Amino acid sequence: MAGNTRIKDHNEIFHEERYAKTWEAKRAFEHPCDAAALEQTRQYIRGDDYKDKNFAREALTINPAKACQPLGALLASVGFAGCLPYVHGSQGCAAYFRSHFNRHFKEPFASVSDSMTEDAAVFGGQKNMVEGLKNAYALYKPAMMAVCTTCMAEVIGDDLNAFIKNARKAGSVPEDFPVPFAHTPSFVGSHVTGYDNMMKGMLFNLSAGEPKAEKDNGAIGIIPGFDGYTVGNIREIKRVLSLMGVDHIILGDNSGVLDTPMTGQYSMYYGGTTIEEVKKAKNAKAIFALLPDSVDKTTAPFVKDEWKSTMVSGPAPLGIAGMDAFLLKVSEITGKDIPAELETERGRALDAMADSGYYLHGKRFAIYGDPSYVEALVEFYMEMGAEPVHVVITNATKRVGKALTKKWADKPFARGVTVHNGADLWHLRSLMISDPVDFLVGGTHGKQLSREMDVPLIRIGFPIFDRHHLHRYATFGYQGVINILQWSVNTLLDDLDRKSLPFNNDFVR
Amino acid sequence: MNRAAMREARREPGCAHNAKKKDNACPRPTPGKAAGGCAFDGALITLSPITDAAHVIHGPIGCVGNTWNNRGSLSSGPKMYRVALTTDVTNEDVVFGGEKKLYKAVREVIRNYNPPAVFVYQTCVTSMIGDDIGAVCKALTEKTGVPVIPVEAPGFTGTKNFGNRLAGGALLEHVIGTREPATAHPYNVNLIGEFNIAGELWLVLPILDKIGIRVICSLSGDARFERIGMMHRANVNMMVCSRALLNVARKMEEKYEIPYFEGSFYGSGNTERSIMRMCELMGDDALIARAREVLADERARVAPALAALRAKLSGKRALLYTGGVKSWSIISALQELGMTVIATGTKKSTEEDKARIVELMGEDARMIEEGAPEKLLAIFRGEKADILLAGGRNQYTAVKARLPFVDVNQERHTPFTGFTGHINLGRKLLDALESPVHALACQPDPFGAVEALP
Repeated sequence: MAGNTRIKDHNEIFHEERYAKTWEAKRAFEHPCDAAALEQTRQYIRGDDYKDKNFAREALTINPAKACQPLGALLASVGFAGCLPYVHGSQGCAAYFRSHFNRHFKEPFASVSDSMTEDAAVFGGQKNMVEGLKNAYALYKPAMMAVCTTCMAEVIGDDLNAFIKNARKAGSVPEDFPVPFAHTPSFVGSHVTGYDNMMKGMLFNLSAGEPKAEKDNGAIGIIPGFDGYTVGNIREIKRVLSLMGVDHIILGDNSGVLDTPMTGQYSMYYGGTTIEEVKKAKNAKAIFALLPDSVDKTTAPFVKDEWKSTMVSGPAPLGIAGMDAFLLKVSEITGKDIPAELETERGRALDAMADSGYYLHGKRFAIYGDPSYVEALVEFYMEMGAEPVHVVITNATKRVGKALTKKWADKPFARGVTVHNGADLWHLRSLMISDPVDFLVGGTHGKQLSREMDVPLIRIGFPIFDRHHLHRYATFGYQGVINILQWSVNTLLDDLDRKSLPFNNDFVR
Repeated sequence: MNRAAMREARREPGCAHNAKKKDNACPRPTPGKAAGGCAFDGALITLSPITDAAHVIHGPIGCVGNTWNNRGSLSSGPKMYRVALTTDVTNEDVVFGGEKKLYKAVREVIRNYNPPAVFVYQTCVTSMIGDDIGAVCKALTEKTGVPVIPVEAPGFTGTKNFGNRLAGGALLEHVIGTREPATAHPYNVNLIGEFNIAGELWLVLPILDKIGIRVICSLSGDARFERIGMMHRANVNMMVCSRALLNVARKMEEKYEIPYFEGSFYGSGNTERSIMRMCELMGDDALIARAREVLADERARVAPALAALRAKLSGKRALLYTGGVKSWSIISALQELGMTVIATGTKKSTEEDKARIVELMGEDARMIEEGAPEKLLAIFRGEKADILLAGGRNQYTAVKARLPFVDVNQERHTPFTGFTGHINLGRKLLDALESPVHALACQPDPFGAVEALP
């Protein structure tokens, strides 16, 4: 025992006899339920009656695959140099967002709140704003603070523009200290809406006063969008654009602060887009949004109408066709050629797809997540010959649902697809019971489904709490194709090995 | 919202903050500082481990999106508590009110899951638009026969701890005392504030089983709704997380004459003391004798392992940054392993907690009220600490600063309670101190870019 430092975690330890006995006694004392009744219920919740009941839901949402606006706002604003995200409203929201990002990126995540309480609910949150900006400025010495709101401030109708002005007047922050802001009520839209609103707030505020030049500066701007793979993807897109020799500005480059090296020092701020870069982007040739759902409502119209710039909104550079379209568009706009290296990379990705084709071709799958991501992933899996069956997008509007249905109507691999906009993961459960699939694509929240259905979960989405390092990999670009392919095929092979009969436990797959 | 109940919770006489200043109800957060969870979070984490009940969050998506299944509180049976249920309040509801939607949603919960009870959580938005969840729950209970319990702790009313207390209040008002145990037993206890993180309750139960003590209910780790209704039949209440549910123990003493004490299962010393105290309060010599015997066996069982750990950990200096009861209860667990605790965080500690800290660490006990990362790191370096014990939100900061780190908060996967848990804790500490990755990171890199640590 002395030399043995192995720790049994909760998965192992409670198999020991002493605990098993206690459990049994506890169960008998608690709520004995006979096995037959249990089995009957088990059958019932897998039947059609139950499915009808489930789909008859009007008011109740169960296991929703979406998050709220301010969460997206934080991911947008943290990508600007020296920016401290500031949540105007209830403190608990800010604490939740920090934990959420901690768990996904396995990184510290700084954000503050002005902790509105009942008095603020009655009198408005101006006092909190004045005091909060002052304290945060003194304590954390940011280069800028990006203010978003929680529901609480939105229900009262707090006016951020006026409050921030008044806070400046009261001396909370210096006159010229940048405080971009966005209204981000959780009861409207989702995290992608919040990203959109905050991105517009950042661009508007940080480019203010910069004159629109007559001639563009030849660069392009890139808005990464709400993306759990933001670290890997931003790096990949930068690499690709550098290979092409295209001058580029990432707007909201959070790939640094969400993946800082271990140096022995902790710093709250690391990398990010500077104010100068935002100003430069105003006179860029075009602004590209990699995920259209993250800009469509607010940022794209702003870029077009206020910046008077060309806005290229998607498709996401994911999958062969997606990346092709992105490169062609960049080439068209900048006049730069696509270098041979990228052609080689494309060839390698295609080669990899051919190598693994057998394991994905003809496989039926269910998928859930954010609109643009799901759209791009479905396109990629169809490139592989996999067949989408259940597509659940909790935060999609009817319009998005209809557009996707139309888009896929005559695609040969999409004959069996149904798009469920606004549905949740409990709907997906019923769908997966009545029409089973071979694999499921989504974030961590799909693991309960994966286990119940005994179907492998390919983890692509947000959040991913239960696997490490995925955010460091790209899903975009030809390299992204290889990454997604690698996760997909190897997850399916693990599943195959686990379930294979003794005569088929082959070495070669 | 029920103003009287809220006011009463604020004035909780058991809370030492209120002794100093009237109607203070624990410190308010400072605007502009990185803050902890809200009252809603506190209420939810208190009640959501009730495994067989349905927990419906009446609010916008964020309140459920950020909390769904995020607590490491384990169940030995039902999994209902892991299902995220919400009314997903939208713009339209904010304008027209959400009561009807809530009513319908709970009906749908009952129709879909038939749970023994439904807890309905108020949030900032639904509270501010004036939804009377108390009335909706009452109507639902009458209509369906399933207890539907309102938990009125919207986020803006205060801190996480205040939310714990409000949740306790909801149980006192609606649940405790509504059921009777089917069988009688001479020695019954409740473990109030034991949340079964990583199975911590389960490490303790077999010891109590052996002594012959029946746990009616742990509030609320691995709890069942029915058991909470029977809590009033306990002979003794043990408060496992001092500040969180103080009002429950105090009120039960008042109403049912059940004595309570504050204890802890962290460290073998604490475990022994707590179980002995439990037995003494039940005042039965035979029971006390049996407890002594069982505890002696347990102590002997873990002695060699603990001695081996002590040999390696002795003299190591720990910085503790955690809330509430752990501020003192883990101190003694570390001291029993031969370690020195140089400072402890007291952000969520009560005055009694602080008094205990002084008792354990001496008059010069260094208490850290506020934990900005830089400050924490400065103390760590200044005091030449060897290891940091803190919660998940500090973990990645510690990694950046190359500090050996042990997670003592709700995300962890290792139970630290009881005798076995003490060994687990010791091993975790040793693992962190002896981590080869840490050693590698502290060496100067061969290109000279990063300096070695002093």
